Amino acid sequence: MKKAKLSVSTAIIVSCSAILTGASLFFPWWGMRFVAPQYPEGLDIIVYPNKLKGNIDIINGLNHYIGMKPFSEESFPELSYLPYIIGALAIFLLVVAWLRDKRLLVALVVVFAIGGLLGLYDLHRWLVDFGTNLSDDAPIKIKPFVPPVLGENRIANFVTNSYFSTGAYMIGAAFFLLILPLWKERKR
Amino acid sequence: MKKKWISAISGLAVGVLASAVFFGDFSPKQPTSTASAKTNAEKVYVPFGKKDEYYLFASGGHSGQLFVYGVPSLRRIRTVPVFSLDSATGYGWDEHSKKMLGGYTWGDLHHPAFSETNGEYDGKYLFATDVANSRAAVLDLKTFTVKDIISVPNTSGPHCAAFVTENTEYLFLPTRFAVPLGNKYESLDDYSTKYRGVMSAVTFDEKAQKLHIAYQVALPPWSYDLSDAGKKISKDWAVVTTYNTEEATTNLEINASKEDRDFIVLFNWKELEKMVKEGKYDIVDGQKVIFPEKQKGGIYLVPVAKSPHGVDVTPDGKRFIASGKLAPLLTVFSFEKAFKAIENKDFAGERNGIPILRYESVMEREVNPENALGPLHTQFDDKGMAYTTMFISSEVVKWDPNTGEVLDRVPVQYSPGHSVAAEGDTVSPDGKYLVSLNKLAKDSYLSVGPSHPESMQLIDISGKMEVIQSAPVDPEPHYGQMIKADKIKTINVYPKDESNPDAVYNQKDARIVRKGNEVHVYGIAMRSKFIFDAKAKRPDVIEVNEGDKVFVHLTNIDRDEDITHGFAINRYNLNIEVQPGQTNTVEFVADKAGTYPIYCTNFCSALHQEMTGYLLVKPKQ
Repeated sequence: MKKAKLSVSTAIIVSCSAILTGASLFFPWWGMRFVAPQYPEGLDIIVYPNKLKGNIDIINGLNHYIGMKPFSEESFPELSYLPYIIGALAIFLLVVAWLRDKRLLVALVVVFAIGGLLGLYDLHRWLVDFGTNLSDDAPIKIKPFVPPVLGENRIANFVTNSYFSTGAYMIGAAFFLLILPLWKERKR
Repeated sequence: MKKKWISAISGLAVGVLASAVFFGDFSPKQPTSTASAKTNAEKVYVPFGKKDEYYLFASGGHSGQLFVYGVPSLRRIRTVPVFSLDSATGYGWDEHSKKMLGGYTWGDLHHPAFSETNGEYDGKYLFATDVANSRAAVLDLKTFTVKDIISVPNTSGPHCAAFVTENTEYLFLPTRFAVPLGNKYESLDDYSTKYRGVMSAVTFDEKAQKLHIAYQVALPPWSYDLSDAGKKISKDWAVVTTYNTEEATTNLEINASKEDRDFIVLFNWKELEKMVKEGKYDIVDGQKVIFPEKQKGGIYLVPVAKSPHGVDVTPDGKRFIASGKLAPLLTVFSFEKAFKAIENKDFAGERNGIPILRYESVMEREVNPENALGPLHTQFDDKGMAYTTMFISSEVVKWDPNTGEVLDRVPVQYSPGHSVAAEGDTVSPDGKYLVSLNKLAKDSYLSVGPSHPESMQLIDISGKMEVIQSAPVDPEPHYGQMIKADKIKTINVYPKDESNPDAVYNQKDARIVRKGNEVHVYGIAMRSKFIFDAKAKRPDVIEVNEGDKVFVHLTNIDRDEDITHGFAINRYNLNIEVQPGQTNTVEFVADKAGTYPIYCTNFCSALHQEMTGYLLVKPKQ
């Protein structure tokens, strides 16, 4: 069988996908917003592939009341290697695009999809870890809880809202840009 | 055919016109949303979520404090301690404020003045003076806290200060009481020769946030009442009113009111500055002092109706207006005329070695509103119109400085001292609002017994003057400053200062260090605990020996808006505040053996009540 060669337009689209993937490193991927009667302006945890932003100290200060362990960038080893994985993926995509090798592209798409699912699982794992390992010494005892990866939750006086942010949407778009040409070229 | 049409149309037109005249509604519309139709209640109501348009800083007089109000609501927002102790904020107990107060427990805060850039308020700093203990202070408006206080030698009671030059080059502190230089003992029989009314020129170093006396002027032994700096064409000049040019030494009520004329001191601070640079001064009590009878130039006297109070420069800087107090008239003087008279050396002799300008050659007009008595102080609006408080006839009179015409007047309750208009002493007043600072409230509010509050009244000056709000105020506003709210840029949390050796930003670093009989606590406050020694069995306990000198350096690591903690020790008579992110120090000698609970005084959280600890003082063996 002759090696399937991708068209030039596909190569361009895949290149765009690679650029989007690389650029997503500079945008927040995920966040959680805390709103309470005395915090109408909201407190934020904003997660980038390599750092945390937002009102981390204040949220840690408040979380100690329910016995949650404090978190910081050091708590999450992913933040130190995630940028390299994503960067590498972007470069591979670019190389494969111009090798115009369909099989390699399909392989990368599979890696991409698995990586994405692993990422979601990892996030969920941390949410379970922080929400359920509450200290027995806490002044306010609450039932262990798992904040959703996406959507609303209520803890004491706070309503939290988890959401995907710019970087995640860019990754979503990048993935879509990979599927699109594969779908178009499925008959070849 | 054509004519028929014309007559038909014109007939129709006449009919429409007639019906319009008879049935048309030409009465003024009653729109519901324009400013003019607002009721007084709507004009002053600021609903939750909205903020006032202006900040009003009212001097707190002998409370030694500064009162911050919002305009138009006239809601009191905050009391800022300046010259007096204030346990609510720990002011006077923490090391910084204790040192600044220098052992004084009260002050008499008279005239607050904003820092200026090109004659406009820049919203960065506010200066204030203490008539009681001859001090000057500067507040940083990022935090609304006092940064520096200086004690001014050779002078006693800077009443008519502070006033600031157009670019905050100087703030001047003329004095109400004449005293001998160095406050030495001198017989009152030698009043005219040995006493002086010393005026101080103070500079502010913004970087170091320190006040500094640049030089002083040994003016004659008179009382200096109020003052204002020039603007635009008169920006290098300033004017100060005087009374007791009689040089009376007793019963001033009678004896300082004898002469028909007192003076306005007109001086050029650029010239005085030059004289100091050229070494034309004597050193007295460590200060560079200019003696006007020896070092001539730069200072002139303008005769004015006796015992004037306010003297205010018009926004265009062309005129200065003296308020008669005892004389029922306002005198409008011209800077241009004064400059010409000085140039032509058109003097009517000298007094105490200072040249006197002729009244007629400087005066532009006398304004005498009918039955208006006791003019004290003048403010201006956006059109340059003048508003003068009448203490005795209890009213505010609006008049035109260009023509002397009286335009409007409104009664106030009762006896206004000063008034303050929106940015009313800058080169571009805003108009809109004027607050009358009334000395008497009498029956205005619910009675609280014989001691009464003072009263502030908000007057809408956008059209015909009308009092639209009244608010009681603690003793005692003398003067105020009203600034557009968006000019003031505050911070909510102190920035981290990693170079501060007393600060602890990580709770694990909290520690207690002993050096001989000194104990240094480097602690933190957070919702809802103190940590003085992170490694101790009980991190919220300070244990010392009787007689130890204890320094508690406390950092509030809750870097969150409005989470202020307090730190008080039972029976040790001390309490300090740590604002979000701030590091503060309190120092005391543990001279009482025993057990003393420590607690957070500023309500911080649901577990505020639990935010406690102990000071254990081991008795001497």
